[in-house]
Amino acid sequence: MAPSRGPQPPARTVHTTLSAHKGPVNVARYSKGSAKYILTGGQDRTVRLWNANLGTEIKAFSAHGYEVLSITVSNDNAKFASSGGDRSVFLWDVATATTTRRLSGHMGKIHVVEFNEDASVVASGSYDATVRLWDLRAQSRSPIQLLEDAKDTIQTLHVGSSSIITGSVDGYVRTYDLRKGELRSDFIGHPVTSLVPTQDGQTLLVTSLDNHIRLMDMSTGKALNDFTGHVNNSYRCRACFGHAEASVICGDESGMVWAWDLLDAKLINPSPPPKAHSKVITWTEHHPSDPNEIVTSSADGTAKVWRNPEQG
Amino acid sequence: MSNRLKRKLNDLGVDTASSKANESFCLIGTPLPPLEKSKDLGEFVPLWKQEVRDEQGRRRLHGAFTGGFSAGYFNSVGSKEGWTPSTFVSSRGDRAKAKAARPEDFMDEEDLQELRESRTIVDTTQEMDLTGGTAAEFAKRQGGDDHEQDGIVHALQSTLLPPPTDSVGAQILKKMGWRVGSGIGPRVSLRQRRLQDLQSSSPYGTRAAIDDIKITEEDEEGNKHTYAPRDTPVLIVERKDNAHGLGYRPGMTLHDSLGSSNQRGSGDPRISAGFGLGALNDADEDDLDVYDGDFKSARNRLAYDAQHVDDVLVLGGKTSVSRLDKRPVTSHSATFRDGSRVLSGFVLSEKPVMEERWFPLSDIPPGWKPNPQRIWEENKENIAKHETQQEPLPHEKWKASTMTAGERGTILGEAPLNAGPRSVFDYLSEKDRERLKTIAATAASGGPLAAPPFSMPRTEPHIAEAALKGFQPFTSEPAKQERYITYLRSQVSSDAPPLRALPNQRPDEFQKEVEDYAKAATIFKPVSGAMAGRFQTATHIDQGPKIHEGLHQPTTAELEALEEKRRKEEEEKLSPQAHAAKLGMYGPMTREVKSWQPARLLCKRFGLREPEMSQEDIDASSSSTKDPSFTTSEAEEAFRQAAGSNTGASSSQQTDSNGSRNLANIGLGEDETQGRDTLTYQRPAMDVFKAIFASDDEDSDDEKVDDEKPEAPADEPEAVTSNTAPLPSHSLLDDGPVDLSNFKPTFKPRTGKAKKENEEDRSKSKKDKKEKKEKKKKGKKGAMVSFDVEDADEEPSLDVFKEPPKRRRKDHKRHDDDDDGMWVEKPPPQIVKTLPVVSGQPQASPAANTADSVDGVDAGSRKGRKRAIDFL
Repeated sequence: MAPSRGPQPPARTVHTTLSAHKGPVNVARYSKGSAKYILTGGQDRTVRLWNANLGTEIKAFSAHGYEVLSITVSNDNAKFASSGGDRSVFLWDVATATTTRRLSGHMGKIHVVEFNEDASVVASGSYDATVRLWDLRAQSRSPIQLLEDAKDTIQTLHVGSSSIITGSVDGYVRTYDLRKGELRSDFIGHPVTSLVPTQDGQTLLVTSLDNHIRLMDMSTGKALNDFTGHVNNSYRCRACFGHAEASVICGDESGMVWAWDLLDAKLINPSPPPKAHSKVITWTEHHPSDPNEIVTSSADGTAKVWRNPEQG
Repeated sequence: MSNRLKRKLNDLGVDTASSKANESFCLIGTPLPPLEKSKDLGEFVPLWKQEVRDEQGRRRLHGAFTGGFSAGYFNSVGSKEGWTPSTFVSSRGDRAKAKAARPEDFMDEEDLQELRESRTIVDTTQEMDLTGGTAAEFAKRQGGDDHEQDGIVHALQSTLLPPPTDSVGAQILKKMGWRVGSGIGPRVSLRQRRLQDLQSSSPYGTRAAIDDIKITEEDEEGNKHTYAPRDTPVLIVERKDNAHGLGYRPGMTLHDSLGSSNQRGSGDPRISAGFGLGALNDADEDDLDVYDGDFKSARNRLAYDAQHVDDVLVLGGKTSVSRLDKRPVTSHSATFRDGSRVLSGFVLSEKPVMEERWFPLSDIPPGWKPNPQRIWEENKENIAKHETQQEPLPHEKWKASTMTAGERGTILGEAPLNAGPRSVFDYLSEKDRERLKTIAATAASGGPLAAPPFSMPRTEPHIAEAALKGFQPFTSEPAKQERYITYLRSQVSSDAPPLRALPNQRPDEFQKEVEDYAKAATIFKPVSGAMAGRFQTATHIDQGPKIHEGLHQPTTAELEALEEKRRKEEEEKLSPQAHAAKLGMYGPMTREVKSWQPARLLCKRFGLREPEMSQEDIDASSSSTKDPSFTTSEAEEAFRQAAGSNTGASSSQQTDSNGSRNLANIGLGEDETQGRDTLTYQRPAMDVFKAIFASDDEDSDDEKVDDEKPEAPADEPEAVTSNTAPLPSHSLLDDGPVDLSNFKPTFKPRTGKAKKENEEDRSKSKKDKKEKKEKKKKGKKGAMVSFDVEDADEEPSLDVFKEPPKRRRKDHKRHDDDDDGMWVEKPPPQIVKTLPVVSGQPQASPAANTADSVDGVDAGSRKGRKRAIDFL
């Protein structure tokens, strides 16, 4: 996409509404690969698999005893992991809709769970302020390593190819560099609720509960850009990059989906944006390849797939 | 005493009256034995000699020192060992056999004995009363006819039933010669007996009748004997178990009760002669019954059941029995209605225990029709009335209604409680009451008790005026103050409106209030006259701290100020980091870098090599994480860079040496020289090198160049640094990378130092020869190492030579053995790693090794070998 045209505005038309969840939907994630499917996890203790195009529910995965707070999908789409209030990470086999492993050890609800690239390790960040790295290859059910540097709940984490980045309520973004054997802690000052690195791994989109989204330079820890205007001071509202990482998209607590130009941090029209959900938007995720599709999940019990009409 | 004797004694002059003269020497009878063989029971026995015995006379208490109370064995259960619980046996299989535990099961012999005794007594009495005695009695009661009829039955009974045992009285009587059927008393003659018979047959027998008794010839013989008297019937008084009047019999008609004689057609009432009639005894049938009766119907009531009825004659007929006879007495074979037999000795009651009472239905008037409607209506009417009365009344209204309980009561038609309101007068005596009455009467007629008419107390106008100006006593109560002022004003001038009573104030209260005011005015008027000058009113009123009552409620302003303060404090407290973040100055200010060791497995899973940190580094980093102030040393950084730039093998070598160096430093603290010997002693690779290079130089070299050798290592560091930048300067300071030339000199100091070390270590003082052999070996190995090192090319660069000043320094150092050792030992490994210079002098001749050098390396050599291997 040509930079001259500027970033595309995010999709503003509802393509389908996924509304089988009984309570708030906490997370909505695209499958890997061509990303035709969406997995949503909600307060109703289920994970649901949807056809993003048709909006039909394919499967419901129910084994959780508490709310589902996080989902991560392996690259081969054969399995995924979910976590939530029941203090253990559930590994699922997508085809049979059964749990293949339940990793327990955390002392609190698990807010975030992430696979590494080949899904041989799953990292989980919990209310107990620890990150546990679980080995999925070995039979051992104890974590490989415990990251206990955080002083408060781990709200978000990202597992890269050579680093693990965690965002915690104590206001720190911690980058564990496996290659260098180094831990870099960047103080944001406010509870960090979501982290999304760019593809090149140089910058990091950090959402914090002070109504700010910051683009941080990972190498120096400097803030490159600051996106404001939305309301986000009490819930985890995950922000993401728009297509080709030219924009930043975030659904906020008032139910609106905001978009900024990545470079100049200006709001992309319309501003203020129309209301997309009646309640807090808990998760915003852009389609990994399709430039016109995003999915949002909300506390109003629905997840919506948005597409630009002209791209239709 | 005979008179004669008396006389004689008198003559002799003995007093006959004296006891001596009358003394009797005769004993009559034998004296009774003492009542108790044992000594006096009441005798005092000291406590420790007293014995306690139980009812059976056994000693149960043995005293505290001899075992105390022996409960178990002697008293109740079991054996000497005590009571053993029986083993549990399941009764599940034979529940049918299981019997309930009886009290007897828990008794010992004593108890059983007791029980048995008591039982026997009970048994005998029972037998007597129930089976034998009463049955016979019943039989007798049946009357003579029955007797005849029941003869066989009776005989049978007497044979079949166990013979009735005699009562104790009967037994005694028997022993005294009494026989069954005869009366009690001394034996009588035939005539007397006849008389008795006669009497019994006709109680009113007259004298003539008695005289009539003739003793015939037949009786002559009988007259010779005495006879037992006739039996006397026992007077049995019927038990009175009803509430009827004396003599009343249920079912007695009026005539009967009147005792009209016609009923009793048989004859005149015969009143018993033997007994007087009491006042209560009218000429009544009762009396007749009791005391009169035909002989025929008389039953013999014996103290003993007579068996031989034939010759039994009883004195005095018993009429009460006749009445008994009238009752239908069921034999013991009678049955209840339900067929069960009546217990022997019991009689079926004729009447049921309780009579049912029947109330006949009242007569229904003719033409009456049931009309529930009417009753319904009536009730409804009532309800309706009630409702109208009870229209929901709001509480206020209800409260407001001035109806008293009494009024309500009258409305409801309740009788007024006569208790009434109690007054004091109720407790006064009559006199007092009257007195009070008179007093009240007098009071009513204008006495002292009449309500005093209100009088406004006067206050002198000047006083009132002064009081107005002076101290105001009621400032705390504004209302009262107002009234006070009004009062004063009214007193000052008659124009001012007078103080009036409050609407709901009673006159006496008002009076009191006003009087208070008047008093206050006189009290609080300011001092006048001469005294006034002496006092000065205070211009400054010291009120002290103002105390707020109740909970402190800060004002908003105060709150804000507090907030502000807190905010400021917080800001001050903020760490620089937080401050920077607040200002948006993200970057180095907000960044903190620590070393972190990922788990090996994690690296493996991520497909990464482990970050290159030696164990020491990890330790250091871990300790550094614990202590935030301690950050990774520059050396480390430098080392890391070096590691990055170097090729794998060499870099790893470096890490090793570096790490150990660091560790050494940590252990040493500030004093770097401390413990150097031991540290250096462990350097092994050095030895190898020495071995190698010493051989090169040959003995001559070593000996020659005492001076030169020390210089060389000193210079090395510089050369090295010039060549390879990454080498951390400080860590390698001492270990000068060594040129060939340099190595030679190092040997000597080394050896000398090695000796010292050996001595210190006191570990192994080995023979020179052995050491030499080892050295040879080392030499060989050294040769191998040297092969490894390929490039001779670099030599030139290393050849850059030492600066004179440093050399001098080294010289000095060399004099200090320790120092020498230090630098000698450390350098070699690094040199080996970084500068493969050695190759130039490959031939290590074992012979060349001086004994000295060999000595030094002994312990270190092993490690040296290992290192050498590592190099390969």
